Amino acid sequence: MTEHKASIISWFRFDRKGLGFFAYSMHRFSGVVIVFYLYLHYAVLSNLLRGQATFDAVVRAAAYGPYGIFIVMDVLLTVVIFYHGANGVRLMLNEMGLGLAHHKALFFVLEAGAMALMLLFLYYAWQAVLSGSGL
Amino acid sequence: MSGNEYEFTIKRKDDHGKVSYSDYSVPKDRISTVFEGLLYIKENLDQTLSMRYSCTMEICGSCAVEVNGKPKMACSTIASSLKTDKIRVEPIRHFDVIKDLVVDLDSFFDKYRKGLPYIIREDYGDYSSELLQTPEQFQKYEQYSMCIKCGLCMAACPIVGTDEDYLGPASLTAVLRYNLDSRDEGGKYRLEAIGTEEGTSRCHYAGECSEVCPKGVDPSSAIQKLRWQVFKHEISGLIRGRRK
Ligand code: SF4
Ligand code: FES
Repeated sequence: MTEHKASIISWFRFDRKGLGFFAYSMHRFSGVVIVFYLYLHYAVLSNLLRGQATFDAVVRAAAYGPYGIFIVMDVLLTVVIFYHGANGVRLMLNEMGLGLAHHKALFFVLEAGAMALMLLFLYYAWQAVLSGSGL
Repeated sequence: MSGNEYEFTIKRKDDHGKVSYSDYSVPKDRISTVFEGLLYIKENLDQTLSMRYSCTMEICGSCAVEVNGKPKMACSTIASSLKTDKIRVEPIRHFDVIKDLVVDLDSFFDKYRKGLPYIIREDYGDYSSELLQTPEQFQKYEQYSMCIKCGLCMAACPIVGTDEDYLGPASLTAVLRYNLDSRDEGGKYRLEAIGTEEGTSRCHYAGECSEVCPKGVDPSSAIQKLRWQVFKHEISGLIRGRRK
């Protein structure tokens, strides 16, 4: 199958593909984003080794960064985590033979539920940001 | 859908690897299936068109192509069911194209063979009486035995498209088919053969394979069942302390 050498680019060729392909590609992509975030998180936390003041400065910069970019990134990260989690639940159920014949419906139901929970989470998170207690 | 002709657009690849698209008009009253359309083109409009077929009745698995972006058997795809006069035919994905619509299926059958898709007996076939099977025993694997090795599931599988070593839905389904056969005693060899990184664990339940399978084999559910077989096999191997 040499002409069709696997590449990450092919994860994003959604043209004329089914929902299963979308779910698969986005699960992988979101997984990579989460792993990236995890290491970013470690990198930020590692500033504690340089003292409280440095750490606080980094966190402040992250929270209020240029154009609120980190807030936007946090929101995107939330979307990714909720998406990944919901599809992960579907995969676990499928693994046990549950809902395999209706995997698309299961995908929609779980993702819709996850997105509703996410909106609720974002609402409370935003309230916390506004009140200052979340920073 | 009002005209008297279907507009076929066919992806071509010549002997030098040059890829192009050719357009043909095919009278509606001369064809029923997409395959008949291709044959009409070959017989009346362009003899250089290459395609693969044999049975023309969805049995041999030869005529797999992509029709309007979906992997299908040309011989069982009714042209009018496509609900459009424009019919785009391309070779199936994830395989090297030899010429026009003919793809190289060697990689598919190489993977298929890895799963030891035949009855294995501890007595090496040296048995004194016929190996009888009840209808109930047959029904356990009947669905999985319907596979015609067309490769549509391999063309639809996103994992096959991103990991060329993944054994793929058809090969893994064949493993389950033989593992469920009451006459077989080779399950453990097969599970050893496919219990690798490129076996069942690669599947991500995209479900595209089951959707395109023309014979209702449902490779996705086969892989799910096989995964449990592999899991049990691994656990029992661990308990017995003879892990590879
Ligand atoms: S499982 Fe279905 S789609 Fe796959 S090769 Fe067999 S018949 Fe074709
Ligand atoms: S020609 Fe045999 S399956 Fe289509």
